[in-house]
Amino acid sequence: MMGLASYLLISLILFVAGLVVMIARKNIVAILLGIELILNASALNFVAYSRYVTNNLDGHIFSLFIIVVAAAEAAVGLAIVIRFFQIKETVHVDEATQLRN
Amino acid sequence: MNQTVVSYLSQYEFYDIILEAFGNNEGLLAFVIYSLFAVIIVALCATIGGLGTYAERKISADIQQRLGPNRVGPYGILQFLADGVKMMTKEDVMPFTADKMLFYLAPCLALVGVFATLAVLPWSSGFIMADMNVGIFYLIAISSLVGVSVFLGGYASNSKWSMLGGMRGASQIISYEIPVTISILAIVLLAGGMSFGAIVGHQKGLPTNWFIFHNPFAFVAFFVYFIGALAETNRAPFDLPEAESELVSGYHTEYTGMRFGFFALAEYIEVFVVCGVAAALFLGGSNLPFDISFDILPIQLVEVVIFMTKTLLLYYVVIWIRWTFPRLRVDQLMSICWKYLTPIAIVNLCGCAIWLVVFNGRSFAQIVFGGHH
Amino acid sequence: MFAQLLFAMSALLTVGGAIAVVVTKNIMHSCIFLLACLIGVAGLYATLGADFVAVTQIMVYVGGIVILMLFAVMLTGGKDFVSRAQNLLGLAPSMGNKWTFSIAILVSIVFLLTNISLIGNIVRSHAPKTFGNDYPSTVSQIGHLLVKDHVLAFELSSVLLLGALVGAAIIARPRKQ
Repeated sequence: MMGLASYLLISLILFVAGLVVMIARKNIVAILLGIELILNASALNFVAYSRYVTNNLDGHIFSLFIIVVAAAEAAVGLAIVIRFFQIKETVHVDEATQLRN
Repeated sequence: MNQTVVSYLSQYEFYDIILEAFGNNEGLLAFVIYSLFAVIIVALCATIGGLGTYAERKISADIQQRLGPNRVGPYGILQFLADGVKMMTKEDVMPFTADKMLFYLAPCLALVGVFATLAVLPWSSGFIMADMNVGIFYLIAISSLVGVSVFLGGYASNSKWSMLGGMRGASQIISYEIPVTISILAIVLLAGGMSFGAIVGHQKGLPTNWFIFHNPFAFVAFFVYFIGALAETNRAPFDLPEAESELVSGYHTEYTGMRFGFFALAEYIEVFVVCGVAAALFLGGSNLPFDISFDILPIQLVEVVIFMTKTLLLYYVVIWIRWTFPRLRVDQLMSICWKYLTPIAIVNLCGCAIWLVVFNGRSFAQIVFGGHH
Repeated sequence: MFAQLLFAMSALLTVGGAIAVVVTKNIMHSCIFLLACLIGVAGLYATLGADFVAVTQIMVYVGGIVILMLFAVMLTGGKDFVSRAQNLLGLAPSMGNKWTFSIAILVSIVFLLTNISLIGNIVRSHAPKTFGNDYPSTVSQIGHLLVKDHVLAFELSSVLLLGALVGAAIIARPRKQ
């Protein structure tokens, strides 16, 4: 049961779920949720390959950096969402039509 | 590497006898031992949480020159059982506009987050369910589930008091996590590892070997940790999320019966856990003050008693602080965290690192009195 | 046995959480299902012997990102935009008409088959190694790797985090009109 294939399959499901969330939702926060799912899918792949294929810890390092980048991205992204809400009073992604305020 | 209670017990002869009774099925025996320990620890901590409410009321009565609960049982000691029965038999009310799923989920998350930390708490050198190499890191990480539960409890109740309490609670918990984690990091630096076994093992012997007396920076780090831990567990003077004079009861205003009981129990057990962590990281944990060359089970029990004594003394201090200091304002709370505790903690971390390099890892007592490294 | 049990439970939590994030209409519930999914991923890391990564995952996501997301949802009103015009999948109809859907289904089938064959190739080309119940700790090795081989990325990530901290504070700061 525990093999490389099952981890890759789970990561595939995570990736597709994230993609569907990003495409189908119109709420900016939901789009950020989708990005988190996709980043997790890739990090899971790195760790799975690192155990079953390369046998060193570079995959772990890579997924640690993915987590760091995800944290930074979430912080800045949510700050932008809150600022956007202050200006437009909505978080509908189609309302984001201009760069300057 | 990763020592567990099973690997500790397997060095004794009776383990082999029991193993044969289990038909040499090591996995099954390990499962049974883990389950047994989990049940014992959870039952013990639930009792400690219950007795915590009794101690709180009795000590506060003592401080305010009252009698406190004295009707149920001798000195009122069975009061917590009566409270528990009362809570379980109460009607479970849910606000009409509440978010049903999150309302049910929040108290369970609080209890899960707290009970999960008990897996790495070092009761003695052998009795520690899993002495993971990431022990203290795991404890900090998993206990942040409590923050999520506070927030969810506030949001799901759909009431203004709860909402304000939940937002205050979540922002307070994630803010104070920073000074707490950085002061723990200073101790990780001194011990050279994140496992509780390594940290406690470094502090063997007299109190001069405890990490709190290792150097001046670690001494300050203890107080930073303790203040931050008080805030993280929403204890007075940092109990803004449940400030009864402003927000009726904060994030658990709308909870009744055992769901409220879950929040209360989680809070009291969390106080016990952070006191236990303080005892293990700074105050020598479960070490005996002298070296013993042999290791038998009664000595483990003595170590458990030592650990419990230190932890419960800190628990007393927590209650003492609650009934002594007035509550802070929200802006004072945030300025204490970001303007004072966090810079102090960072300076402590750098100071500990420099101390380790300059004095080659020797503690203050070893420098003054001389001594082996 | 423990590892397989943990794997099964984590996989269930991950997949169930991910699917629930997709199908839930309520954005607050989506965040909580995302939390379940991320804890499941941490469990999967644990079954892969990556203890440090697993705990970092819990630390960063549970303690930070999910609470931030919940805050953002609450500060922005907590509404999700469910359009009235529903298509057969119950998804928002922004993706077009039946032609785009049929093309999308075709593309997904091709995508799925490609992925299955790719995964099959990868799995077949690497003979299955047998791992016992030994999970050596990765903490000290990761520490050495971070300050030796990957020290540049490590330092750069600190700059990135500082930039994100300051940037987020400046962007979200309330401004006087």
